[in-house]
Order: sequence, then structure tokens, then C-alpha cells
Amino acid sequence: MWYEIFKFELKYRAKRPETYVFFFFLFLFSMVGVDFIFQGVEMGLMKKNAPLVIGKTMAAITGIFMIMASMIMGVPVLRDFQYNVESLLFINPIKKRDYLLGRFLGSFVVLLFIFGAVLFGMMVGEFMPWHQDLLPFTPINYMQSFTVVVLPILFFGASLFFVTGMLSKKLLVVYTQGIFLFVVFLLTKAIKNEYLQALLDPFSLTTLTKVSEDWSVTERNSLEILFNGVMLHNKLFWLLLGVIILMIGYHKFSFTIISKTSKNKKIKKSNIDERSSSIIEYSIPRPNVKYTIKTYCLQLVALSKFYVLSLLKETSFWAIVICGMIIILINSVNLGTVYGVDSYPTTYFIVEELQEMSLYFFIIILLFYSGELIWKERNAKLSLIYDATPISDTIPLISKFVALVSIYIILMLSLIVTGILFQIANGYYNFELKVYFFGFFLEILPFLMLYTIIALLFQVISNNKFVGILLALLFFIVNVSSEYFGFQHSLYKFGGKTLGTYSSMNGYGHFLKPYLWIKIYWLLFASLLLIISAILSVRGTETKLIKRFKGVKHRFSKRIIQFVISISFVFIGIGSYIFYNTNILNDYWTSSEKTVFRANYEKLLKQYEYIPQPKITKVHLNVELFPENRSYSVNGYYILKNTLNQPIHDVHIQKKIASHVQLDSVIFVGDNVSIDTKYSEFDYLIYSLSETLHPGDSIKMKFIQSYTPKGFEDDKSSTQIVNNGTFFNNKEFPTIGYNKKYELSDKDEREEYKLAPRLNKAKREDQRELVNAISGGDSDGINFEAIIGTNNKQTAITSGVLVKQWEENNRNYFHYKMNQPMINFYSIVSADYETRKDTWQSPFNISNKPVSLEIYHHNTHEYNLDRMMASMKASLNYFSTNFSPYQYTQLRIMEFPRYEVFAQSFPNTIPFSEAIGFVLDIDDQKDVDMAFYVTAHEVAHQWFGMQVEAANVRGRHMILETLSQYAALMVLKDNYPEEKIQQFLEFQREMYHKERKKSTVKEPSLELVENQDYIYYNKGAVAMFRLQKEIGEDMVNKALQHFIRDWHSQTGKFKTVSGRYATSKDLLSYFREVTPGSLQYIITDLFEKVE
Amino acid sequence: MELIIDNLSKTYANGVRALQNVTLHIPKGMFGLLGPNGAGKSTLMRTISTLQEADTGSILFGNINVLKEKNELRKTLGYLPQQFGVYPKISASALLNHLAVLKGITNKKERKEVVNGLLNKTNLYDVRNQNLGGYSGGMKQRFGIAQALLNNPKLLIVDEPTAGLDPAERNRFYNLLSEIGENTIVILSTHIVDDIKELCTNMAIINQGQVVLKGKPLELIQNIEGKVYQKTIPKNELDIHKKKYKVINEKLFLGKPIIHVLSDKDPKNGFVPINASLEDVYFSQINN
Repeated sequence: MWYEIFKFELKYRAKRPETYVFFFFLFLFSMVGVDFIFQGVEMGLMKKNAPLVIGKTMAAITGIFMIMASMIMGVPVLRDFQYNVESLLFINPIKKRDYLLGRFLGSFVVLLFIFGAVLFGMMVGEFMPWHQDLLPFTPINYMQSFTVVVLPILFFGASLFFVTGMLSKKLLVVYTQGIFLFVVFLLTKAIKNEYLQALLDPFSLTTLTKVSEDWSVTERNSLEILFNGVMLHNKLFWLLLGVIILMIGYHKFSFTIISKTSKNKKIKKSNIDERSSSIIEYSIPRPNVKYTIKTYCLQLVALSKFYVLSLLKETSFWAIVICGMIIILINSVNLGTVYGVDSYPTTYFIVEELQEMSLYFFIIILLFYSGELIWKERNAKLSLIYDATPISDTIPLISKFVALVSIYIILMLSLIVTGILFQIANGYYNFELKVYFFGFFLEILPFLMLYTIIALLFQVISNNKFVGILLALLFFIVNVSSEYFGFQHSLYKFGGKTLGTYSSMNGYGHFLKPYLWIKIYWLLFASLLLIISAILSVRGTETKLIKRFKGVKHRFSKRIIQFVISISFVFIGIGSYIFYNTNILNDYWTSSEKTVFRANYEKLLKQYEYIPQPKITKVHLNVELFPENRSYSVNGYYILKNTLNQPIHDVHIQKKIASHVQLDSVIFVGDNVSIDTKYSEFDYLIYSLSETLHPGDSIKMKFIQSYTPKGFEDDKSSTQIVNNGTFFNNKEFPTIGYNKKYELSDKDEREEYKLAPRLNKAKREDQRELVNAISGGDSDGINFEAIIGTNNKQTAITSGVLVKQWEENNRNYFHYKMNQPMINFYSIVSADYETRKDTWQSPFNISNKPVSLEIYHHNTHEYNLDRMMASMKASLNYFSTNFSPYQYTQLRIMEFPRYEVFAQSFPNTIPFSEAIGFVLDIDDQKDVDMAFYVTAHEVAHQWFGMQVEAANVRGRHMILETLSQYAALMVLKDNYPEEKIQQFLEFQREMYHKERKKSTVKEPSLELVENQDYIYYNKGAVAMFRLQKEIGEDMVNKALQHFIRDWHSQTGKFKTVSGRYATSKDLLSYFREVTPGSLQYIITDLFEKVE
Repeated sequence: MELIIDNLSKTYANGVRALQNVTLHIPKGMFGLLGPNGAGKSTLMRTISTLQEADTGSILFGNINVLKEKNELRKTLGYLPQQFGVYPKISASALLNHLAVLKGITNKKERKEVVNGLLNKTNLYDVRNQNLGGYSGGMKQRFGIAQALLNNPKLLIVDEPTAGLDPAERNRFYNLLSEIGENTIVILSTHIVDDIKELCTNMAIINQGQVVLKGKPLELIQNIEGKVYQKTIPKNELDIHKKKYKVINEKLFLGKPIIHVLSDKDPKNGFVPINASLEDVYFSQINN
């Protein structure tokens, strides 16, 4: 008997369009599945068809499309109730077991068929032209992954959805189970125990990570996914849970319909009296109905209210709200984590966390509830009555839209309340409601509104709830991924782009204006779509799309035509305004245009990379900053000196390649230069001097440059010059000669444009780079002086001593002058700052003036100032005692907005991102004081980077960064207990092991490190600690002391004699010098070997 | 005000010709639409109610071109479909209120008056706050007519409203309809012949999408008065009689077939003349 029911189910499904739509959709998606899932993930040397990658992709696809399982498995029993055939069915002599078994297996087989598309889609995907450089095609890998990873969770999902559908008899409850699964998945991420986490992850993504954690690259590419270890436990767990759910469902399901009718009977009895009473001497009032705008508005309000209330009555909605709150409370435990330390629960962190976590919930609500609302009348079989009322075509759909938006708002408000509760629970009371408000209502709500309209449109067009949901989802995915195919201009990419990062210092800054214009533009477009949907929507019994299209002409009322025309005008108007801003006032570059430009830059100008050029020896700047319109003008000069032993005839000047940066004039004082402009396309100008610049001669180069942004750009515009928190460095100003930074670095792109492979860093023996301290080094040290003007609220800071400070024309002016030579690397910073000041007196040189210590910070960011100040003092103490004296008379830290997350040392100044130390919530019991450590690291750069520079070859970062890591670690060691040091080192080891797996190139040793930060930071710290442990801190310091003495940029004897900069080879020789013969191998192991 | 249906035709995608050149003039009062199941009654009523498109032809209601100015018609239309559902967890007064908004009655006070008036009229006032899910078939049908009357329609279309109602409930329903019919066009479709005779001033019979007969019930009966004969026969003679006479109706009485034949002159042979009924009119058209 069950077999008959099974067969019936299959036949029924075979006729349903959803079955094929789902299959086809999954098939297509799986073809690009790997690319979608691993988009932006560093895969290192792992191939895209490695078994592990296949397994993870399948797991993720299954996870994402679990909703399909809910749509298939939720309905088989529910359907009988929906169509009221349950009483016909249940009086038949079929057993409950047969009925349920048949329905379940039938649907499950259909589900397997649909998810089989993942298997075949991925196999076919392997042969797609964009998949190259793969392992040989091995079908068995796919089948194995499918069996191991996908089948068990499909079974679990099938059981869960089948049982909830059968017991609740409500589709929305079934969908909510999909959320439940996702919540479980998110919750597992909060579990600290790795085994438990791997065991409980329903989609077994964490399980796969756990299984493969110790695999080498070769193993990652070859080992199969099998039922063993934690994977087996995970799968058994979920299979078992599925069986239990099925058993409970079987037990609870009642094979009668009594439960449904008993309630009715009771009510009927109470009405019997009423039925016999006789009627009708009652006249009906004649309502006075006018069809005015007011009527329409009142109708809109009343209907919206009606739909909102009906959605609020859904338990599933409240389940989502509660799930959302729980998830957020659990996940918000770690906010703004930097180096393993959490930040204070500032509102923008909370908002970002809430946004990220809740998006899934919003999308679920959007997709499913839009379907429910569109079908509400038809599901209740009330549609004919509705459709014959004189309500306009548009009002019902608009009110459904309004209702959905109201639901989002309710969910948002509850999330905001959760966020505030979380802050209170953590003793943080600066709620910043404005930030909450903007974060949700400005960043998320417009996005949801746009996609809600898309979802409604697809519901209307497809006239099939499931197909509509799927089409909307498909649109969403295609729209998101179209960006990677160069489809990215906000004018044609639906919805435009996201709003930029929020910063305490700069708010949303200049991102807000373009964002709002573009959102208004799309909302207008969407409102047209909404009207079109309304006019196309089913009214009456004509459901064929073609018929509805034909009927449109009768449904276009005069008012609608007026509305459509006027909205279209505004839409086109705003679109033109945006186009004017993004493409006329600003240059719009597609990514391929950018690539071509950079390829050409290299092809044409690479010839000049090492031509003899003078060096900058003096810089003098008059900078006027205008933060309110993000512009500046600079009037300055360089002294250029021929430090070579051959004459120089031409000076090559590279203006910064960026729009609106104008190099208004370049004058070589006392020389009639002629200008060769053949490369002006690249802002590269060749000045031929009329009088040859002989060795030892200098010339003064005056220049005037300005930056005046116009309108707004489509791309995220520069975050260097902003309303509050400007931070840029000398790369903004003209540079001498070829700039390697404009070259293409991506290996594939270089191949495509036939460019020779590029080394990350030159070889250690490269003579031409040994004389450069930085790429394209145009200086060996400068004298520096700058006068900076900014608006009257801000303080402008750069390197040097503050000679003078005054106000003029309601602007603040600052005159800085460095009293000794410094490297040609300085930053200009300007913001509305509070200042914390202190001094430090060198213990050796009491006669010297104390060094003044200054921290310029955003007004509320006072949490860690004491730690930073303490670190500055401790660092100056340690370094000047053990390495060499501190060379300047000031040391400043300046906070800048969190568009970048780093701190960086310049001569006597350290710009420090607001994200990295200022808001860290350091618990001395459990955390390492990273504010202290990072400060110490940056102070160390005043030695390693400012006093001694490293040649621009492999191993450069070992000198600059690894030594700074060591220095900071020693300061930390002096001020904090041993266990904190161990905790710090453990974190470094973890990072190193995690990151090295992602690397795409063979790992170099420390002494030959290129740009791999996990080596020079993380491995470096651990290696240096080991070294001082083995040979003694004093010995290491002695070596460094000598190294600095000999290789000091200005005074080092080896530096001045050889004319080149130090390499890691030089450094290691100092280490070897202080290391006893028996321990020499340690240096080899730590620095010269990879493992 | 008159409803003029002119040459209306509709063929479904599956080839069924649901309406073929239907032409009807429907004046004020109750109009009965009679026909067997599947004759096209509902199609016609849905088309008049703006819920369905016609292939050709036109419908005029006063100045309103129904097929084009749908919303104009809807403003004066009351429609009770053959089958409809309700939101089970909403009370009658709440749903009536909601539908009243849809019909444009946005003034709260007016709406309350209308809703309460109609609830009283349909004798649902005492149960107005009960969830519709608990209503009996008759109550639900009365709720249906209440919603159809919300906007004080000039054209009321009720599609087989009494199917499934017990006789008392049916009478009550018809009383209500006839009161409304005093100053409204009410189009009532049914396959119960007696209903039409009791209620309607005009009627039409539709079969296979075509109007086969139209007129006033009494006149139509008059037309065949004196031509109907009846005979009780044994079961096995049924076929012979069918061949020999124009049998318009057959039914069982105490287990034996009674046949009605239509004949200009007395067929003798045991037939007795009887008074013509509307049922005879109906079957004379349908069983041709």
C-alpha cells in the first residue's frame, strides 16, 4: 500500500514545475558553486577540485539551499489539509504507517533528485572554461563528498521539515525551521571546544575544517572525504536526530480529522438559538463613498495595518525575532577583535555585528513573507471577493509592501533593543542612538525595500509561490556576483553599492551623499517596478501572464500614468545627475580599463626604472588643507642633488595618478627646462635640463599642486583627505622617476598582458635595489620643513618640531621643522583632536631637554591613553638604554579614522588607527595589553626604519618588522608577567600556522622574507624570542646596538662607506658574532631555514 | 439602469466554448440565470463581475463599459462568488470592516454603521465577534451576502448562493434577496428551478454557453401551458417512450418513473394533461 502512495507522490511531483525549476536552478548554481563559495577566500596551493574543496562547497550549497528542502518536504502532508482532501483520504483503508512512509519516501526521493543537481552541476562546472589549473577530473571525489557530506544532512532536513509540516500544517512554520538550522549553525561557531563545534555543525563546514586541520597542501589536494573520525560522529549525530524527529512525528500525528472539527461543533451548538430567530426589519445605511485621494490614503493605511497585524500574528515571525536576539547576544561577545583582544561594545561595532548576523533573517522574511502576502487572499479563497471590490489595482500591493517594510522596522527595533541591552550588560552606556538609527534605517532598510519589490515582482510574474521565491533569490545572487564580471556601475547595478565604513571620527563622511542619491535613484526605479507589478498582478481568474499583459491597457488609470511619467522624469533626472557626477565630473574607470592602463604604464615606462636620477635632499612645504571640502593646495620645493658620479640631463617627475590631483606648476629654479610630454597620459613628465646637473650639484624644484574633488565618484572615493581625520603621506606629492607601485601584481593579469613575471621583492644580491631603502627610492634622507594650515577646529600634525603655531583668517597654522636629517617619509594628519601630554627624560642624558610625548585622539576615545603613554615611556627607556639614544625631541601618536586598520611610524610621529588600540577593552586578567604592545612596536620603528633602514630586497621586513616585534616584546616582558608573554607568543604561533596554509607561494625563510606578514610578524616574534632565550637578551641587544651603530642611515660607517643599505645577511652576521659556536645552529634554524 | 450584454463570447484555452454570442438585457429586479452544471453561468457572472475577460462582445451597465472600465463598475457592484473562503481567525465584523475599506468606505463612523446594519440585516449581529472559522454554511453564506451589500450596489451578482443550505436557511436568504431586488439589479444563478419561479421577474436559460430561452417566468410557462402531459410507466418501457414521444422530464415517484412529454395535441395512451411548470420549461430547453 505504501508503495502506491509513494508512486502517487512521485507522479504528482513529476508534474509540478517547481521540481524542475529547483533542479535546474541548483544545477546552474553548482556549476559556479566553487567560485561563489570560495570567492575571496585565499585557497593557497589548494586546487578548486580538491576533494576538500568539493566537500566544503557541497556543504555550503546544501546549507544555503536548505530552504528548497523545506519547500519540498514541508508540503506533502500539509497539502492534503490545504486542499481539504484529508477527510477523503483518511476514511480510506490505508494505514498511518503506509501513508506517512509513502509520502515521506516519495518526497525524499524527489529531494534527492533535486539535490543530485549539485553533484552533476559541480562535475560539469569543472569543465567550464574559467576553471583552469585543476587536478585531473575524478568523478568519485564528487560522489564521495555527496554521499558523506550532503546525504545525511538532507535526510535530517527532510525529517525535520516533513514532521514540522505535518504537525503544524503551516508552511511558515516549516520555513522557520530553516532558520532554526541556520541558528544552530551560527551557535556552533560560538562553541569553544573544537570537537563539539565540529560535531554539532549541521552543515559540517567546521567539521571539514577540523578533519583537515593537520593536512599538508598535498594531502589537501588528494585526501578523500570519508566517514571517519569526527566526520562520522557528526553525521551519525544528525542522522540519529533525524530518525528521532521522524519517530516523534509519527507518534504525534493523528490519523483523523477530529482535532480540526471538534472546535467547530462546540461553536455551532452555541448558535442554535440564533438560527431560529427571525429577521429583517432593519434598513441598511447608505454609505456615502467618494473616491478621492483621501480615500486612497485611508485605504492604504488601513490595509497596511491589516497586513502588518496578520504578519505579527504569525508565531514564526516571533520565532525569528527571538532567534535573532539570541544569536546576537551570543555572537556579540567578540566585537572588534584585534590581535585576540575585544573592543568596547561601541555602537558601531554592535551595529555592524547586528547587520551581518541579521541579514539572513531579513532575507528569509523578505522572500517567504512576500510570497505569503501575495497569496494571502487566494490561499483563503477570498480573492474573488477582493478582486470585485473597487479598490484600485495598486493599493493592495503597495500596502503589502508597506506591511513588509513595517515588519522589518519592528525587527530592527527589537535588534536595537537587544544591542542596547548587550551594551548595558557590559557596562557600556554611550548608546549613540543615531548610529543605531543610521546603521539600520539608512544602510539596511533601503536595501530591503529594493529587494522586497523585486520579490513581489517575481511573485506576480511567476504566479507560483515557490518559483517566485526562487527567482528572487536567483536575482539576488546574480546581482551580487555580477560585480565580479565587471558589472559594477551604480547606475545599472541594481541597488547600487553599500554605504562606506562608519568611523567615530568622521561619521559616514563624504560617502553619505552619493549613497543617498543612488538609493533614491533606485528606490524611484523600484517604485515603478512596484506599480508595474501591481498592474500585472492577478485580478480575477485570468492567470496567464500573456493575458495579464494584454489586460494592462485597461488597468492603466490616468492617475497611474501621471505617476509613472512623473516618477520616470525624476528617475531620469536623478540618474543624469549621478552620471554627471560619476562620469563627467569624475572619470569612471571600469576595472579592465584600470588593468590596461597599468599594463601600459609598465610597458612604456619600465625602461626608466633604474635611470640615473637626482635624490631629494630637502623638502619644504606650504600646505593648505580644507577639510570641509576635502581639498588641499600645496606650494613647496625639493632640493634635488646629483649624488651619482655621472652627469644628469633629464629629471623624470611622476605626479600621483589620481583624478583631481593637479600638478599646476613645476619650476626648476635657474634653468630653462624643456618638457617632454609624450607620457603625460601617465602623468609622467620628463624635464630636460638646459644645464647638465653634474655630480655633487643641486637644483631647486618648486612645485604647486592641488587636489579639489568634484561631485562624487561611483567607486569608493579616497579616504585620505576627509572631513575629520585626514591622513596621507609624502606619496601624495610629486616623486622622482618610475613608480613600481603602479605595476600589475596579479600573476594571471600579468600573463594576460604579456608582462614578465614579477618578483615580490628583489633578490638579496640585486645591486640596483641595495641602494634603495624603499621601492624607487628617490632620496637618501632629507631636511624637512612644513607649514600646514587647516580649519579652525582642527590640529594639523607632521614630522618635526612645532616651531610656531598661529591663527590667521580664521584658520589654524602650524609650522614644523625637523632639526636633523630624516628619511623621506612623512605624513600629514589633521583632525579635531583632544590632546594628552606627558614628558620622558632620558636617564643617561639628564642635560638634554625631556622628550615631549603627545597623544592626539578623538574626544571619546580615552580608554587606553594611559596604556599607550606608559608604553611610549617604557619603550623609549628600553630602546635608548639597549640600542641607541632616541634621536628626536618629541614623540606623537595621532588617531586616524578606521578606514585603515594599522599604526605606522614616521619620524617622531605615529598615526594610529582608531580601530586598533583606542577602543580595545583590555581585561588584564585575560588579555594581552595590545594597546601597549602595538605602541611599543611602533616606537621601535623610530629605531628600525628611522635610524637604520633596510635595503629594498628580500629580508627587508625582517630588519624592519621582526626587529620591532622583538623590541616591543622585550618591553612587554619588562612590564608584564611571563604568562602574558606566553599568551602573546601562542597567539603569534597560531596566526602563523593559520596564515601559512593560505599562502599561494612557497614559504621563504625569515632572512629571505618578501611581503608575507605572517612570517615577518608572527614567525619573527616567535623566532626572536627563542633567540634571546637561547643566547641571552643582553647578547641580542648588543648585536642590535652594533648593527645600528654600523648601519645607521646617516652615521653608520658601513652604510656611508658602501653607499648601500643593510640586508638580513648583515644583520645575521651581528647575531652570529654574539652567539657561541655551539649555538650557531639556532640562527640557521630560526632565520635561514623554513621549518 | 439596465445591464446590456451584447454578443458575449469566451473560449477557454482548453477549447471549451464557455459563452457563445450571449445577448441579454437585464432590467431592475431579480434576474434568474438557469442552467445545468457547466453551462457557462459562472463564466458569465464572473465576466460581468469584471473578474474575467471576454473574447468578443460587450457589456454595458448604464454608461459603464464593463469590460474596459472595470473599476467604475466595481464601485456599484456586489458580488458573491459560488465558492469563497474566509480568514478563519478573524471575526465577521473585522473582515466586513476590512472589506468595507476595500470598497472605499473609509469614514470610520459610516463604516461602523454600515457593518452593524448589515450584520443585523443578515442576522449575524449576535455572533459578529466570533471567528469566521466557526461559522456554519448558512452563516457563512449570509456573511457573503453582507459583504456583497457593503457598498450599496446597483448590480448584485450572486452565484448559486443556496447550494448546501437547508430549506429554512434558504428561505431566509431569498427573503433578503427579494427585498434588495426591489431597487437593484440582482442576477441570481441557480439550477434549482423553483427558486427562480418564486423570486425572479425575468430569467434566462443557458445551456452549453448559449442563451436558449429568455423571458418572464410566468409568460414562459404560459407558452407551454396545455402542452404538457404526464404518465407513470414501468421502468422497462422508459426507452420506448423516449423514442416515441418528446420526453422533457423524467423523475421517480415511489420508485416508478413519471415522465412528462411536450405535445401540441393529447398523446392519449395513458397520458394525462397537467399544469405546466417552470421545470417543464427548463427541461424542454435542456433535454433537446
